[in-house]
Amino acid sequence: MINKDKLDRVLKKVDRPARYIGMEINSVKKDFKDAKVKFVFSYPDIYEVGMSHLGLHILYNLINDREDYLCERVFCPWTDMEKAMREEKLPLYSLESKEEIINFDFLGFTLQYEMSYTNILNMLDLAHIPFLSKDRDEDFPLIIGGGPCAFNPEPLADFFDLFLIGEGEERTLDIIDIYKEHREKGYDKDEFLKTISRLEGVYVPKFYTTDYNEDGTIKSMTAIEGAPSIVKKNRVRDIENMYYHEKMIIPYIETVHDRVVFELFRGCTRGCRFCQAGMIYRPIRERSPQKLKEIAAKIVENTGYENISLSSLSSCDYSQLEFLIKDLVNEFEEKKVGVTLPSLRLDSFSIDILKELEKVRKSGLTFAPEAGSQRLRDVINKGVDEEDLIKAVSYAFKEGWSKIKLYFMIGLPTETDNDLIGIKELSYLVKELFFNRPKEEIRGSFKLTSSASCFVPKAFTPFQWIGQDSIEEFKRKIMLVKDSIKDRKITFNYHNPEVSYMEAIFARGDRRLSATLIRAFEKGCKFDGWGEHFKFETWLEALAETDIDGDFYALRKRELDEKLPWDFIDCGVSKKYLIKEYKRAIIGELTDDCRDNCNVCGIDNCEMRGVKSEI
Amino acid sequence: MKFRIKFNKKNYLKYISHLDLMRLFERTFNRIDAPIEYSQGFNPKPKISIASPLSLGIESEEEWMDIELLEKVDEKDFIKNVNSILPSDIQILETEYIEDNTPIAALINWSVYEIYFLLLEDKKKIELENIIEDWLKQEEILIERYRKKGRNKILVTENIIELMKDIELKSLKNNEVVLKGKLKIGESGTLRPRDFINAFIADNNLNIDIDSISFKRISQII
Ligand code: SF4
Repeated sequence: MINKDKLDRVLKKVDRPARYIGMEINSVKKDFKDAKVKFVFSYPDIYEVGMSHLGLHILYNLINDREDYLCERVFCPWTDMEKAMREEKLPLYSLESKEEIINFDFLGFTLQYEMSYTNILNMLDLAHIPFLSKDRDEDFPLIIGGGPCAFNPEPLADFFDLFLIGEGEERTLDIIDIYKEHREKGYDKDEFLKTISRLEGVYVPKFYTTDYNEDGTIKSMTAIEGAPSIVKKNRVRDIENMYYHEKMIIPYIETVHDRVVFELFRGCTRGCRFCQAGMIYRPIRERSPQKLKEIAAKIVENTGYENISLSSLSSCDYSQLEFLIKDLVNEFEEKKVGVTLPSLRLDSFSIDILKELEKVRKSGLTFAPEAGSQRLRDVINKGVDEEDLIKAVSYAFKEGWSKIKLYFMIGLPTETDNDLIGIKELSYLVKELFFNRPKEEIRGSFKLTSSASCFVPKAFTPFQWIGQDSIEEFKRKIMLVKDSIKDRKITFNYHNPEVSYMEAIFARGDRRLSATLIRAFEKGCKFDGWGEHFKFETWLEALAETDIDGDFYALRKRELDEKLPWDFIDCGVSKKYLIKEYKRAIIGELTDDCRDNCNVCGIDNCEMRGVKSEI
Repeated sequence: MKFRIKFNKKNYLKYISHLDLMRLFERTFNRIDAPIEYSQGFNPKPKISIASPLSLGIESEEEWMDIELLEKVDEKDFIKNVNSILPSDIQILETEYIEDNTPIAALINWSVYEIYFLLLEDKKKIELENIIEDWLKQEEILIERYRKKGRNKILVTENIIELMKDIELKSLKNNEVVLKGKLKIGESGTLRPRDFINAFIADNNLNIDIDSISFKRISQII
């Protein structure tokens, strides 16, 4: 256990000390020494962000439900806390037992976004754990990575002992079980890693070597020591009976999502071509309404939360949504518990659902047309048209909403300036819809925020071969849109293209980037996802000093036959399908929603295939 | 009906803010389905009020809160249920139904604090006692603090001698000092323990470890 006096001295100096104390309701405090295996869930961002991550609550309870295992938490300390800890020589510690991180058996990092990678190094550094897997012997914890970014784990390959690809919750338990056995009979790190490298969904980077061509592309990746040459993702087959969290830790401080959260389903049937989650989490698997009600009731009872949020990739697509929402609203209205949907889709926008929800509260509405023109929306397979938007927005205005947010992406494949002007045109259209009504119907003050992010091509999407727009091009395009919008009631926001450039490098990077990450960390990069901390100049230096050409990773268009760093992973969707989708995208050909038609994407035993035809 | 609750806030939980504490109670009462009255209006809030909120980082053995109940609850059950949900370092100690409508905040005039710090110079007990005595003998002890004036904050000089009483040295061991005293709180003036100790240290040129200062509220009195 760390020195409590030191901790007290540190906590007195920092902003929001409650981030660092644990002891929340529903947190689990076990006897540290008694636990057979000690796992620490590690989130490479601040407490408020990490606590809003559903996966934390699932894994935390899953492991702690096992009597002889223990799962605690650690987050990345904010800069003031880090400074104070370094001054007092206080090592990184877990919130529950206030135990040094180095004394755990496992550190499980969740990899949600590329720009959190330097925070991982910072956390290891604060824990006095060597960065490189090869420098850590049996006395150090094993470092595990999981989450969406684990689908291209290569930039982190040197740091992690193993990755769990895909839905790894249940596999985590298997690994802990095997670890316990190994510990009991005399633990050897390599032996252990060899054993688990045979499990589906487990990737142990040290058992793979990579050779490069002269032009810098990958020549081959070879599995050694009997590791499988293809790593299949973990996939939960029986979602109805899979583990679910009955409790959620209730933070003292307000977090991003202070509410009951659970998943209606996993996967998504839409097939948007830019969306990684939509590909890697196929197929769709729904929970039954009965199950969902049971889950909701349990978590509400165990938390006292005032809000339920139904979290899924595209929650409105849940096949029995109306029925479920009516049920939930009825059941919890008396307890003053509201129900919200985090994402509304223009096309599945259901009048009845909104009416049900607004009984409890009415806030701003967000829609994501993603692209300004129909042509470009067809390219990305965002199956919505202007009619959908008009219908949805008009209805919302009629029902009293007056604040709308629209999300767009800039830099999509085949994009022209005309498509960009479409962002302005759509924004103006929404405004007209608000004001072009009989005076007596107009209520509230209108406000529209149109936000644009810079497109980052991701692994395992049909756009994985595309070259990203250069920073200059992004800036030109942003200014084009910005200058075209001259209405004070419309606010145009945009993301920093420099961040997106760095993100693109790591999203499709390979093992050679580990050195760059270390250098960037040494030069002071951290919290790169937080605008105020992102240091682009420093990143450019780190790239140059480690002989890495950022453009090679971010801007280069790949040939379809190029070996990609993540090709050794089988995400379920076949490469053939991705290529087909890529080609269809370029000619603006739409692909059906899986609910309407199976597109033969390569998923075996798909739960969704043929669902419609059965009805 | 008014229901008065005495509770504590200890150890690490001194690091949760007043607002966080309010939210904690709100949720806890929700969870046990306590029949709490809600305010009227667009955004109904449960009627919970905590007297003289603690600053962040201060422990307390005695905090007071009034809540409005729609119907009587069994006090024993209430304490048991609430405490089983609350963290062990925030617990309800006593409850009472109140006939009189005066809110608890209006009843409290003094807070009793213990203030701890580490001396970086050797001082005998008697020396320190003399220092305290001499300091308190003065007609005025001036501090500067920011006051809200309309929208702005302005720096004002204030005499705090009337805002403190019964200041004493509770213990001195291995240069660890514990002072005890009553500081004014409420409508007729408030002296925050931080301002008090800063003045004490500065006026007497004591060499102490600033980061070691900590406070504990012992009780609140009329
Ligand atoms: S197999 Fe067919 S239905 Fe299933 S995810 Fe793939 S395309 Fe969709």
